[in-house]
Order: sequence, then C-alpha cells, then structure tokens
Amino acid sequence: MSEVDMAVIKPEMMKSYIWLQTADGSIQQVEQEVAMFCPMICHEVIQKGMGSSKNYAISLPQRVNPAMLSLILDYCRFHQVPGRSNKERKSFDEKFIRMDTKRLCELTSAADSLQLKPLVDLTSRALARIIEGKSPEEIREIFHLPDDLTEEEKLEPLKNTTDDPRIRLLNRLYAKKRKELKERQKLKNIEVEEERVDDRSVDDLLSFINGDNGDSKGIKNSKSKKKNRRRKDQQKNTSANEAIKNHNKEPNGLNQVCCSAEVGQTVRAGVGATSNLHDVEDDIFDNKNELDDGDIDDEIDPALKEKIDREVEDFARRLNSDWPERMQEILSFGHERKPVHFSLNGNGSLRRYANSEQR
Amino acid sequence: MPKRLASSLSDEVLEHVFSFIQSEKDRNVVSAVCKSWYEIERWCRRKIFVGNCYAVSPEMVIRRFPQVRSIELKGKPHFADFNLVPDGWGGYVLPWITEMAGAYPWLDEIRLKRMVVTDESLELIAKSFKDFKVLVLASCEGFSTDGLAAIAASCKNLRELDLRESEVDDSSVHWLSHFPETYTSMVSLNISCLGSGEVSFSALERLVSRCPNLRSLKLNRAVPLDKTANILRLAPQLVEFSACTYSAELRSDVFSNLAGAFSNCKELRSLSGFWDVVPDYLPAIYSVCSRLTSLNLSYATILSPDLIKLVSHCPSLQRLLVLDYIEDSGLEALASNCKDLQELRVFPSDPFDAEPNASLTEQGLVAVSLGCPKLQSVLYFCRRMSNAALVTIAQNRPNLNRFRLCIIEPNTADYLTGEPFDVGFGAIVEHCKDLIRLSLSGLLTDCVFEYIGKYAKKLEMLSVAFAGDSDLGLHHVLSGCESLRKLEIRDCPFGDKALLTNAAKLETMQSLWMSSCSVSFEACKLLSQKMPRLNVEVIDERGPPDSRPENCTVDKLYIYRSVAGPRFDMPPFVWTKDEDLALRLSP
Repeated sequence: MSEVDMAVIKPEMMKSYIWLQTADGSIQQVEQEVAMFCPMICHEVIQKGMGSSKNYAISLPQRVNPAMLSLILDYCRFHQVPGRSNKERKSFDEKFIRMDTKRLCELTSAADSLQLKPLVDLTSRALARIIEGKSPEEIREIFHLPDDLTEEEKLEPLKNTTDDPRIRLLNRLYAKKRKELKERQKLKNIEVEEERVDDRSVDDLLSFINGDNGDSKGIKNSKSKKKNRRRKDQQKNTSANEAIKNHNKEPNGLNQVCCSAEVGQTVRAGVGATSNLHDVEDDIFDNKNELDDGDIDDEIDPALKEKIDREVEDFARRLNSDWPERMQEILSFGHERKPVHFSLNGNGSLRRYANSEQR
Repeated sequence: MPKRLASSLSDEVLEHVFSFIQSEKDRNVVSAVCKSWYEIERWCRRKIFVGNCYAVSPEMVIRRFPQVRSIELKGKPHFADFNLVPDGWGGYVLPWITEMAGAYPWLDEIRLKRMVVTDESLELIAKSFKDFKVLVLASCEGFSTDGLAAIAASCKNLRELDLRESEVDDSSVHWLSHFPETYTSMVSLNISCLGSGEVSFSALERLVSRCPNLRSLKLNRAVPLDKTANILRLAPQLVEFSACTYSAELRSDVFSNLAGAFSNCKELRSLSGFWDVVPDYLPAIYSVCSRLTSLNLSYATILSPDLIKLVSHCPSLQRLLVLDYIEDSGLEALASNCKDLQELRVFPSDPFDAEPNASLTEQGLVAVSLGCPKLQSVLYFCRRMSNAALVTIAQNRPNLNRFRLCIIEPNTADYLTGEPFDVGFGAIVEHCKDLIRLSLSGLLTDCVFEYIGKYAKKLEMLSVAFAGDSDLGLHHVLSGCESLRKLEIRDCPFGDKALLTNAAKLETMQSLWMSSCSVSFEACKLLSQKMPRLNVEVIDERGPPDSRPENCTVDKLYIYRSVAGPRFDMPPFVWTKDEDLALRLSP
C-alpha cells in the first residue's frame, strides 16, 4: 500500500489501527500498515470498508487462531518496513521459520487463508525440506497421516491400479484372503517344510511346477489353469509404472562420452575364460529364497481358492449392480476389441477404460 | 476420506509444498505416504523418468499422471553400446509419441536414450506439441535430417536440441535452414554427431548470430578452424563449446584469430571436441583455461608433455576426460594442480594392441586418488593393476560413488602377486560406502562377489565380465546387494541355479543382462512362468533355442520387470516362453 493509495481512502478510515477478530471470538487491534500487508485484510478494508472499529472488526478465516495471527503479524511487521536489505530479510526468514512441524503446518494454512504469498512460499519450502529424504513411514509419523494405502500399493507405490475406492476395496479383500491362506498353509506345512532339504535340480523344479510330484491329474490341470488366470490377472491387475524410479544423476547432467575407443574388455571375444565350474553344494541356498513369492498360489488348496474366487466374484457383482451409467461410459470408449467382462478381478477391464477423473 | 487433523493442510497448500519437491525419489516417496497425498501428487507431477520403456505402457503413465510436461525414456540396455544388442531388438518411441500427442498437448520436453526414433516420430512431435522446448536424443537412431527439418520448422520455442552420439541419416535436406528467420530461442545445440554434409555452415552462422541466449554449442567435426573462430565471435556468451577439427600446420593468422575469439568468451566453462588437434594450437585456449570446469580431450591425440602443460593451466577443473596418452606423469600433474576434480575418465588410445603404447599404469590413478579430495567418479582403462593399488585408492577416496575399472585384457591378475583382484575390489566396496556404480575387470573369483554382496549396500549398477567361478558368485550379488537395479554380465560361468533361487529379487530390479553365460532355455522358461511380472527375453540369432540340445545355453538373456506385460514388437530373434506368440507385429 503506497502513500498515494492511502490518500484515496476516505478520511474516516485513516485510523492507525485495524480491528481483527479471530474465530474464537477475541478481537484485537493491529497497526494498520502491518495488517494491510496481508492481501485478504487489505481487501476487507478497501472493498468492504471493514476493520475501522471494534464493531466492524474483520472476521479472519477459521485457520487463523490468535497464536498464528501473532506469528503472521510478526512477519508482516518486519517485512512491511521498506528499507530492509535482502540479506536482512533472508536472515529474519531463516530464524522465523524455526518451529516444530505442527506449528509450521498451522502457519502455512493460516498464511494461505490470508493470501500472504511470500509467507506461504517460505513455509511451504520449509515443509518441503522436512519431507525430502525421508521414508513414507517417517512422513506419516511427522504429519500424523493415516496409513491407508493397501499392502500392495505400499510395496510397489507406482503400481496402484485404479482411482476407484470400490475397486481398491476389492483388491484389499483379495490381498487379505491371500494372506490368510498363506498363514493357514504355513501352519499346515510346518512339518513338511522342516524335512524338505532343497537340493532340487532344474529338472526337479520343472517337474514340480508341472505338478508331477504325485498330485492327481485334476490338481495338475487346475494348477495350470490357475497359473494362467493369475498371470492374466496380474497383468490386468497392475498399472502405472514400476520402473519409474530414481534417476541415476550424474554431476552436471553429463553423460558418457562415446569415444570410439571405449570398448575395453568387452570387445575381447573368444579369449578363453576357462572357468572351472566346481560343484556347488545346493544346501548353501536358503530354503526361503526358493521361488517363494511366485509360488504361493500353487500351493494353496484348489478348492479353497475356488471358494475365494467365488466370494470375490460375488462382491464384484454387488458392486456392479449400482454402476449402470458407469458401464455405459466404459462401453462407449470402445478402444479395445475385447468385450468388457467382469472376470475374477473386476477391475481388469475397468482399468483399461477408466478415464482420468474430473477433479 | 481420511480424517483431517487440525494442523493438516489443504490440498492446494499440499500441492504448493510438493512443487518444491522435484527429485524423482522424493516424489515417489510422497505418493506412497497415504491415499490423499498419492492423489494430489499424481495430479501435480510434471516430470517423469522411465528407465526402461518396456516396463510400463504409455497408457498407464498417462492414466496415472495426467499433467506431465517432461518425459525421459530409455530403451535398449547399456550393453547395446558395445554392439551386444542386435539391430531391430526394439526400443521404438513412436507408440509413446502417439499416445502422448493426444494426452499431453502441453508436453514440452522429451529426452530419449538408446531408442529408435523415426522421422515420423519427429514429425509427430513437431505437429503435436505447441510449446515444445527440449529435445534430447542420446545414442538414438532411425531418423534423418528430414525429421530434424520438421522440428526446426515447427517448434518456435525450441530451446534445446541435443543429438549426442546419435546416428542420423543424411537425407540431403538443409535442415538448419528450416529454422525460420524469426526463430531466436536456441539455448543449447549439440550436433556433434552429424556428418559433414548435414550442416550448412552459413545457416549455422545465421542461426547462432540471431540466438542471443545460446549457452551451449557443440558442433560437428567438419567445421574448419577459421570458421570456429567466426562462430565464437558471434557467440561470446557461450558456456559450453565443442571445438572442431584443427588444421594440420600452424598458421599464425589463424592462431591469433582463434586465440582472440576465445579470449572474448568470459563465460566459457566447458570445452570438448578437439578432434585431430595439433598441440601448437592449444595455447589458443589458455585464456579460458583458468575458468574451465570441464574438459573433454578424449578425441585428442596429444601426448603427455602437452597435456601436462594444458592441465596446469586449469586449476578449476572438475571433470576431465582424456586418453591414456596422459600417462602416469600427466595424472600426477593433474593431482597436484586440480584440487577440485570430481570426475576422471581415462580411455585407451589403442585398446586392441596387446602392448601398451602409453605409460599409463595403476600409479596414475593412485596419484589422483591421493591428490584430489573431491574425486567421486572414476572410469579408468589400463593394462596393469595391483590389489595394493586398489586398497590404497579405496582408503584414500572413501567418497567414491562411481568406480569403473577396465583392465583391458580379460583375466589379468595382480601384476605384483599374481593373485586375483578379489581383495582389491573388496576394499573398494568396503570403504566406499556410497558406491552406486561399479564395473569389475581382471582376474576375479567368487570371493569378490561375496564382498560385493556383503558391503555394497547402496550399489545400484554392476557390470561384470569374465569373472567368477560358479553360480555362487551371482547368488552373492543377487542376495546381498539391496539397492541393485541394473546388473549386466557377460562371459561368466553363472547359470540356472543362482537365477532361479533369486527369482524374486529380479522383480525388485530394473533389469538383468546376461550374455555368453551358462543359462539354459529351460530355466528361462521356468523363470518366466514363475514370475509373471518379469519379461524374460532370450536373444538368439542362431535360431529357436528349443531346437538345440537341452543343455545348450542361451546366447543372450535380458530380463526386466514390467507391468505392461510382454511386448508386441519383438523381432524374430527374441524368444520368450510363449511359443504361440503370433503377435509379432513389425514396428
């Protein structure tokens, strides 16, 4: 606010103080030049003629409680003085920003509601610095945030398939069932596993996969059927980018130089690496490293698995019943030649069609 | 909706906070905190890096991040640089450009590495993105000057055009002239890979003279010396410059013109090029040397005495690329003069000669490791090494984060003791706790891999050749290296057991390359069956792997994780478990 602007305002408003009221009801008066540093207050004064007296105190947004107001006014009081150097201002800011994270969040919100952009930037940058370099768990603790991503979403943060909370519920149910079965199976097989020494050769592993370890033909078929279905589901069930990850930063963004001579050892073909493949004792390899993750479903009792699949299918059908319009939307996209169908995992086709939601 | 606490921040405020968080790693962490942060983050993500273009589909990326402005994609695996990936393997960018053309009208940056880019892709880029600013094609191929002409003609706000190390076909189009006379926005231009016919010098001069913001200019080899001086005089504000062919004999007028031009360039910090340079011309750049932070002399066949003189003029040097002509004496001079050195790359001048043609040994590297406290990144080709030297280097420089040693002859032992280099590299991984990239060479047993598995917890990329004794070596690496993303192996006795035992690990990595190892096709099929989120590609130009005896090993194996499923653009020499994969469409 320059002197010229001030002069245009009606004389009645040329008081030295502005009256402000916080959400708790308390009213205070603040030096005009300090308060007017906040665009929101400035707007109230000029456009609406508020703040001139106690009865006409400007109601501040809810997020500006007395403590935050005090901080903000300290900030304004310092910065509204025109003569300060950049160095002084920076130094003040650095000291000003030192507070616990909770207050920092409150301050950011309060400054935002008063549209005080320089302070919003200052506090936002400070929050960004707090967030950088931490793990999701640490961040949740600091900001008291809920741990509400599914196990799958957390493990592979970039694989989250859908935006629809109902589909996520479905995923969660499925994941929970899989976990339960894993526990149950573990308890059942504990004796068996202790006996099993894993010295299988590749051939043994192959035959195990193909179900030649004494199981009935029925199970063998259902196993491969399950595998195929699971493969399809896995492909459909996953989305987004697993490979989006850390970029290997090189200094100054410089890349490898292609010197025609940069071939080194890799060019030497046929120089005999006479390696002596000595026999490796297979018990060196831990049991638990042995094809665990991919194996789970193959060890589950097929009847039980069918039951789960049916449950999930029921659930999906229930969800679908109130989606007639949604279905229409999806069908009208028509990118894919395959028909839309709600298979085992209802989100399979949805993922392809679901367009970005309007915000 | 998650419960909101009194101190919680609104979506708008959070988005503002996130705008100050730009690193890929931190953005990914933010998206994993909770559902609301995931949502907010995905809408305000502007930059995407995809390390393997087949790990995800463009549709998936677009769905999750609807407002991207900048994308970086990488295609072929690293060993493609050594001609180990046959032509036609893949890495086509057109499907990506096609999808993004519709979804991201405001996309303004595309950076590609080792991808096949066609003129059609370039024309589509030129047509689809109104505010296009940055195009980087690193080690790409498949396009011609026709495509470049389309870019030049349409992209009015183009700021960066960088074709580093790409192969460009000459279609005889004077593409540089397609930049309209009104175009003035160039900031960075790298055409060092182009042949002589592909650059019209007069068009180049006109372009340079009307782009006042030009900061980086890397010309191709064919620009003669006197023209170099002219260009420099037109752009004294340059920060990076790639000098060109130096003429055969010293002419004083050319020399003084060049020296004068260089002395005008007060902002110059990085020089490269120097093809066929005659040492007598080197003093022409002395006026800028004191400010130089980066010097690439890897094409310059200047010998040690001249190199020493040059280096002694560059006390601010942070990055040096040079041939082994620098010799141990030159590296010692470097160590005493250049205390700010962070990165050193020494290339072999004649890698195919059994006898060394330059006196470069392990001593040079030891000297630099001792004298340069900020040294972080090393790429070193040499013919002899000792464990003692490696241990010394490790102890001197625990701050190394990239260490790539290439002892030229495979299976070379410690020249002092005759031992393998297990202990030496073991010391490197033990002391350099922040090591993220490592290349091994020389005689190595399974022991070195045990050390690597035990100590190299931050290692992200490992390159191995002609090393190890058995599957145990590979097993140590796969089971121990927690941060491993890329593993590339050639000519090592690693086989099925290590691979299958650590199948789950492979899904946590970006990719694994194994060529001339001992992996059977059966194991590949098995792995592929067990791990549906892995694409297991057997690259074999000899014919179907099935047609050979069971115990025959595959030629090349490339395994990478993917949420996009098997790709549809595989050439006939790539084999996967799906024999009935009739969906082999031509690119």
